[in-house]
Amino acid sequence: MLDSSGLSRREVLQKCVALGSITLIASQSSAAMLLAFEEKELHKPTPPNELGPFYKKRAPQTAMLRAAGDPGMPLSVSGQILDTRGEKLPNVVVEVWQTDHLGHYDLDGYRYRAKLPADGSGNYKFESVMPGHYPDRVCQHIHYLVTAPGHKPLVTQLYFATDPVFEGDPDKNFNRDPLIHSRELVRPVMLVGDPKDIHAAVNFELCLERV
Amino acid sequence: MWRRLAVIADMLLLVPVLAAEALRPEKTIILPTDVVIRFTAISPAGTFVAGICRDQKLRLWDVSAGSLSRTLDLGGERLTSVRFSDDGQLVALGGAKGGVRIWELPSATLKLEFTNPSEVNALAISRDRKLVAAAPLEEAVEVWDLSSAKQVAKMRAPFSGTSALAFSPDSHWLATADGDTSIRLYDARTGKLRNSVDDLLLESFAIVFSTDGKYILTGGADKVVNVIDASSGKVLRSLAKQDDVLLDLRQSRDGKRLVAAYVNADDPSKASPVVIWDLETQSPRTRILEPGVVPNGGEFLLDGRLLMTSGSEKELKIWSVSP
Repeated sequence: MLDSSGLSRREVLQKCVALGSITLIASQSSAAMLLAFEEKELHKPTPPNELGPFYKKRAPQTAMLRAAGDPGMPLSVSGQILDTRGEKLPNVVVEVWQTDHLGHYDLDGYRYRAKLPADGSGNYKFESVMPGHYPDRVCQHIHYLVTAPGHKPLVTQLYFATDPVFEGDPDKNFNRDPLIHSRELVRPVMLVGDPKDIHAAVNFELCLERV
Repeated sequence: MWRRLAVIADMLLLVPVLAAEALRPEKTIILPTDVVIRFTAISPAGTFVAGICRDQKLRLWDVSAGSLSRTLDLGGERLTSVRFSDDGQLVALGGAKGGVRIWELPSATLKLEFTNPSEVNALAISRDRKLVAAAPLEEAVEVWDLSSAKQVAKMRAPFSGTSALAFSPDSHWLATADGDTSIRLYDARTGKLRNSVDDLLLESFAIVFSTDGKYILTGGADKVVNVIDASSGKVLRSLAKQDDVLLDLRQSRDGKRLVAAYVNADDPSKASPVVIWDLETQSPRTRILEPGVVPNGGEFLLDGRLLMTSGSEKELKIWSVSP
């Protein structure tokens, strides 16, 4: 990227450091400072949210968590996976797990658990049902574990703005669930399809921090 | 990771105790009207029962006299974790803001205080009483030296944190039950990883060493007790699967019995069993399914007895379980 003088941001910063208009903190190298400067105005990493007790290793690789005839509101979740510079991450492993529509986790098998196949373009998508309310939690949620080479693993949860707990006002009421520390994790829900075949759709962008 | 032990106990404490053949009443403590206990722990010395109370105080009642002996706290911080040392001479308390304090008993002299970066999920004290380990929610386990009051090691799982901790009987090793479902064994003083058990598919919420230190026993969301060889890190066998998620484990001093407390994962308010396993036959020996018996109040004492607690808003009952 070039600024109005024709110099790149890196070159401008290097010049400032050389001329003494920016003082480097003793513990930081100029390279680290430059890196921090370059990242400053770009994407914030997705807020983490705790893992919960029922993560299960070796989930099947599939984007279809819902079986034919499963009760509950069909749900499509999709999003981009970016780094903090806004670049799409193609080699990401996304694991998701949730309750069924009644709020029960499958501990004996792998219902509503999946390792999503990477599509190579930094996007993900899966089909499921709207999770029920787990008895020990306030809000409906889907757990995420996102890993990518060279990036910090992201453990987070997706919440739904339509959750009755928020009474239509997630801005005001998101912290009715004491585990929700960031409004950002509560996503709008679109209802799509005709009235006979309605389903919910949610977009949830994931942004990973570099190691 | 599982952090609702206190909530479960809250609910169970409100249910009156039914008669149980295996349970013998030892003591009933009448609670002051403004004291509500959320969950309990029993000193292995059999001297104190500790009650974590809703007013964010830890009350220590003298078991034989049935009277209140000490009241401790973390300066108003919500209390999340309590652990006695194996000989009952120390008690460690952890809180929601990461506060940890360790007192010497019975004098209640403060021995060490430090702050973790997040809510304290689990605590352990080494048998030689020189080290204390604390597991902050989603963060690295910290090991502190009680005499130097310095942090000596830090152990981080690849993602998430640690649900349960146990020192080996020789105090050399620290075993962690981690959120990524692995069990890890570290040198407690250096933090160097000795081995990692990666065969378990679901998270363990309880972990103990066998009395000879050769085995690690774990249990959790997979509803079984796993017996792991401490030196190789191999899962040797699993005890019969139960219907409920395993929440807490204690082993008897002679190594022959194991008490396991379970919880119904779909409805934690339902009464769930406490099972006493015979480790020689690897089969359940006694099954206690009594509403009101608080599972995390169970403890094998130095004299071999197993004590448990139950209660209501008015009283705290201490029971001994027939061997």
